[in-house]
Amino acid sequence: MNFTRPARCTLCNFSRAASAAPRVPRRQFHPSPFRLDDQRPKDPAVSVAADTPKTTKQAAVKRKLGTITRKMRAASVRPYTEEELAQLREVYSAQQVAAIEAGEAAIDPKDFARQFAVRTDPMRLKYLDDFSHVEPGVDKHVRAPETNSDPTQKLKSTEDLMQDFAQYIQEMPRDMNAAHFVRWAENNRLTKGKEEAERRPHTSLAPDFFQEGDKLRVPEEEGKEGQARDQSLHRPAISLEGVSPPLAQLIQSTGLSQEYIKSLSTKSLVFHSVTNQTRLGKVQRFYCLAIAGNRDGLLGLGEAKSFEAADAIEQAKYRAIRNMRPILRYEQRTIYGDVTAKVGAMDLKLMTRPPGFGIRCQSLIYEMCLAAGITDLAARVNRSRNKMNTVKAAYEALLSQRNPEDVARARGKKMVDVRKVYYSGRVF
Amino acid sequence: MSLTNLSHVISHLNNVTKARLGLTSIPNTKLHLKLCLALQNDGFISTVVRGGPTPPAPHQLLGHPSSEDIEPVTQANIASRRLWLGLKYWRSEPVLGKMKMISTPKRRVTAKLEVLRRVVQGHNTPYIEGLRSPGESLYISTDKGIMEARECVEKKSGGLVLCRIR
Repeated sequence: MNFTRPARCTLCNFSRAASAAPRVPRRQFHPSPFRLDDQRPKDPAVSVAADTPKTTKQAAVKRKLGTITRKMRAASVRPYTEEELAQLREVYSAQQVAAIEAGEAAIDPKDFARQFAVRTDPMRLKYLDDFSHVEPGVDKHVRAPETNSDPTQKLKSTEDLMQDFAQYIQEMPRDMNAAHFVRWAENNRLTKGKEEAERRPHTSLAPDFFQEGDKLRVPEEEGKEGQARDQSLHRPAISLEGVSPPLAQLIQSTGLSQEYIKSLSTKSLVFHSVTNQTRLGKVQRFYCLAIAGNRDGLLGLGEAKSFEAADAIEQAKYRAIRNMRPILRYEQRTIYGDVTAKVGAMDLKLMTRPPGFGIRCQSLIYEMCLAAGITDLAARVNRSRNKMNTVKAAYEALLSQRNPEDVARARGKKMVDVRKVYYSGRVF
Repeated sequence: MSLTNLSHVISHLNNVTKARLGLTSIPNTKLHLKLCLALQNDGFISTVVRGGPTPPAPHQLLGHPSSEDIEPVTQANIASRRLWLGLKYWRSEPVLGKMKMISTPKRRVTAKLEVLRRVVQGHNTPYIEGLRSPGESLYISTDKGIMEARECVEKKSGGLVLCRIR
């Protein structure tokens, strides 16, 4: 077995039979340089005898191409000789041979000569090929046929149908009869998108696979979800002059644009003064706990202390923006299952609820839900009801949700959201 | 059916998953074996192998051991037999979450089919809270063997509620 030749793939079977010349592997497994066969003939004596010293092998090929170009005429197409026919009969049955002969007789010799001739125009190929085979690497791969499916297909609305009808009335011929209208009514399209998708749709027995580039989502819907696609998100302000230093620092460190930061909903939830007793006396400062969210699945907490109340609030809000993290949301409205969290003496439970339930819980958790974009939730706060710890515990609980996909993968089981299946994915 | 021993096993498994151990052993009883096989069937643990006081050979843990490999249970060695369980972890979190006894040695909790149906739908019942979190499961000992609550509802049988895993 020759190890220098690569394994032939299935597609290569479509190509012509393997040539006698050895193929050149991409990578050598030995350090000595690999010599191509056509660089130097194996036996110099033979080659010198066969060729004149000045003509190389390449030149010989060129000469051959030239003769084919010149000599191909209609007359040069000749029928099979008896010998060739006998060879054909060895391989093919009598019917197949008859079919071959009939097929070749059907081609005009002039046409045959023109097609078989080597092109001399500027767009000619640099190699000899009659395109009877697919050469992998040179020719394109054989692709599956394109299908009629159109993922962007949509039913026409009443207005669209009215427009169609109005157009029909405008273009109606003088000698209009009932058959004309019936023909129009039967042929008028009911959907928008690719025409074949409606005229000749695929069957449910053999549904089409998705083609390369097909998407489930309509292109115009992209960019609405997912923060990375948000254009305004990662576009820092051109100049940071006139911006307050803490905000400028936030913009520089996060790369968020000023408009995006402005669009976030922030709120200071806990605010009070704290005192530090030193030997010089009491040092009073202001403490603030703020939240920030984009009302679409992002939520962050920020704490700050300062001698100035306004500074504390501003810093807390900016820290909340910096700490924003994604919150798992079921159907983008509630949480996955019931979650509990414990901070200090706080014992808190957040409970998932059906659509339309609303946010029925105390004010602090309500504000957090608003910022995170949760619309259905119930909460129970047991034992202590410290405001600061409530917010922290609720944040911890929201982050501690388990993703059902992770659970399924961990156990090696398949898990299906029955609601999603029942409403065929149109749950939100 | 000793629920005392079962509760010991359950708290042992809780401790073991917190310590992130890969292999542990529990006393070999019919109840423990059936529960472990149900857990293995649901993907909570990777292997259940019966062995002695020392852990079984790796090939027995990795593959399905044939009957010749396993030392048969005799009157002489039955007291020293233990079940060796392989534990699973996913993204550095234990797959077998927090286990909790529902029935206790002092109070056995049974559930009829109607109760189980409500529990599986997520409603709270007097002694059993509804299964509401993703991946939460409840194990019931029935006359058809130890099964998960949803499977019980499918097979229309109630029984003694053993433990809950979340």
